[in-house]
Amino acid sequence: MKRTTLSYHIIRNVLLFCIGLFLVTFSIYYYFTRNTIRDDTSENAIFMAKNIVNRIEQVLTPAEKNPEIIAKMLESSFLDKDSLVPFLKSMLKGNQNVYGSIIAYEPNFFPEQGLYFAPYVYRQGDSINSSILGDKNYEYFYMDWYQIPKITNAPYWSEPYFDEGGGNVLMTTYSVPFYTYKNGQRTFSGIVTVDISLEWLTKIMSQVKILNTGYAFLLSRNGVIIAHPNKDYVMNQSIFTIARENNQPALRETGRKMIQGKSNFESAGFKSEWKPGKLWINYAPLPSSNWSIAVIYPEDEMFASLHRMNIILIVLILFGLSVLSFVIYKIVKKLTAPLKHFAESARLIAAGNFNVHLPEIKTDDEMKELHNSFSFMQKELGDYVINLKDTTAAKEKIESELRIAKEIQMSMIPHIFPPFPDLPQIDVFAVLKSAKEVGGDLYDFFVIDGNKFCFAIGDVSGKGVPASLFMAVTRTLVRSISDKEYSPSVIVGTLNKSISQNNESSMFVTFFLGVLDLSNGNLKYTNAGHNPPVIIKNNKEAVMFEKTKYIPVGLFEDFEYGESSLQLESGDKIFLYTDGVSEAENSENKLFGDGTIMDIVSMNVTASPRELIGKMEEGISAHVNGFAQSDDITMMTIVYNG
Amino acid sequence: MNVNVVKSGDYSIISVEGRVDTTNAGEFEKAVMEVVNSGINMIIFNCSGLNYISSSGLRVFLIVQKRMMANKGQLKLCSLQPGITEIFDISGFSSIFSIFPDQDSAEKAG
Repeated sequence: MKRTTLSYHIIRNVLLFCIGLFLVTFSIYYYFTRNTIRDDTSENAIFMAKNIVNRIEQVLTPAEKNPEIIAKMLESSFLDKDSLVPFLKSMLKGNQNVYGSIIAYEPNFFPEQGLYFAPYVYRQGDSINSSILGDKNYEYFYMDWYQIPKITNAPYWSEPYFDEGGGNVLMTTYSVPFYTYKNGQRTFSGIVTVDISLEWLTKIMSQVKILNTGYAFLLSRNGVIIAHPNKDYVMNQSIFTIARENNQPALRETGRKMIQGKSNFESAGFKSEWKPGKLWINYAPLPSSNWSIAVIYPEDEMFASLHRMNIILIVLILFGLSVLSFVIYKIVKKLTAPLKHFAESARLIAAGNFNVHLPEIKTDDEMKELHNSFSFMQKELGDYVINLKDTTAAKEKIESELRIAKEIQMSMIPHIFPPFPDLPQIDVFAVLKSAKEVGGDLYDFFVIDGNKFCFAIGDVSGKGVPASLFMAVTRTLVRSISDKEYSPSVIVGTLNKSISQNNESSMFVTFFLGVLDLSNGNLKYTNAGHNPPVIIKNNKEAVMFEKTKYIPVGLFEDFEYGESSLQLESGDKIFLYTDGVSEAENSENKLFGDGTIMDIVSMNVTASPRELIGKMEEGISAHVNGFAQSDDITMMTIVYNG
Repeated sequence: MNVNVVKSGDYSIISVEGRVDTTNAGEFEKAVMEVVNSGINMIIFNCSGLNYISSSGLRVFLIVQKRMMANKGQLKLCSLQPGITEIFDISGFSSIFSIFPDQDSAEKAG
């Protein structure tokens, strides 16, 4: 498994959370800011359009006043024919926007002037000149500026035009009809005009700047472009010709709405070579002249600030996250630094070094708790190990003493086989396996007076040290009693009396003692509550001794023990054992049993004493199958070869 | 191992269940001696639930028997399982204990 650090996990989780939080916040922010910017830009565009309209109106509206006043003055005959030119001159002087002015009379209005009479005052350079217009080549009363207001009986703004003869400037003319009273009738008598330069218009329009490249343009009532940053368009193109040339029907539609005097703020449906992206347009009419002004700008510029903001924001956040990661890394590293030490300390403690130095914790937090727990564990472990060492030492001492006791105990029973090389009539083999270091089983055999073979097997109640002491006493007593006594019942009875006296602990020994006369094979025996031995007659027949009616030794000092006798033939064998054999248990608490003992003996009737006991050991080992030995196991086999 | 003491007529019935071996013979002795030391001298051991007894366990019976004999009391054993009877027979203990086939006959017997 790849090893990862705690700070890696914390940083990863915190960063993921922060990034998620940022994305959500950013999306909401972006959505609202975008809307706000669009609205703001729109407002700004509308405001700008209105502002231009106002500025244009500020020029055009006063310009309308002059011809209207002149018309009124002519109607009320306030001016006579000769004062017209001086009057117009003085008007031009006072109105810088007015480029020229005409008072054109109906044909033959003044008979003495002939057919034409139209005094004209105009600027040329810095001076103001005058002339009288009208001749065969210039029959002014057929001109649009004359005809249209005459017919409509209303003032009229002409389409802008280039005054090629005059100042080579863009002009427009405002024509107002005037009337005089003839025979009491108010009769149309001519037209008063003012020519107004539109140079300032281009100036105003060129001042309009929206965003980076956004601009304004002005359309006449016919859709002709009056003002546009591209000078080639001015008076040469209309919005409709441009729409046709560029195949943009949506532009034509916008143009139509504009010349209808509508106003709107919308996302443009048309494209422009000028900017490849989406465009926004805002347009509004000029009330006096029926012109229309439009402000147009590209969307990407509208949101440029937002995009710039976004980049700054992302950079800032990335920087912030990096700093955050670094700070978390530092904090976690600082906080968890003791953990590494603790891990090392734990390893050292596990290795047995209980005095290992723990990291110092100055904070009063979980780390302190950990430190305290560690310190406690260290102390407890130290104490425990000291304790354990003492206990182990004490135990080892006891064990070593027990080992010595075992050696002493084992040295008390005969363990050299064959025991009597010079007595061919008899062969013996025996084993004693204590369940604990020392046990309560015993066997013994010896020869009395050269031809009486005495043998015994016994089992002290209980196990361990108390039983072993009892066994030692029993064995010693048997040896001393049989020193001058051959009768098993007397030996056992004397043994019982000795043991029963002062037997406060009520321990007892099951005991089988036999005395075999080697000269004739006569066996006398007493069984004091011991498991009946097995006798193998003629190397083929195995039978158990009868059950005894005598109680174990050590219970009642006055108990009377009797004895039985049995005649052995040459080759007869006796197999003796303690209940550690018959009651050997396996893990299922199943006992080895007398039946199994009999089976094994029966199958090995011809075996030597050593072989028979070997077979029995194998049988027991197979039965218990590794289950702990719970009782002492003692077996003895005697063969009589008389 | 489980030891249960109930009173039935003149007798205290001590029921022993399970195994009595070297590992718990001390515990068994303690439980039984509590009854004996309380001055009761009419005791029946009901051994119907006793599966196994080792020589250490037999020793406890012997101690009680000796006490009862000294106090002129009575100790009876009843309902021994065949395996237990076998152990008593082999060790000759059958001859020093009064053994009855069931509790009823133990209580009725003089």
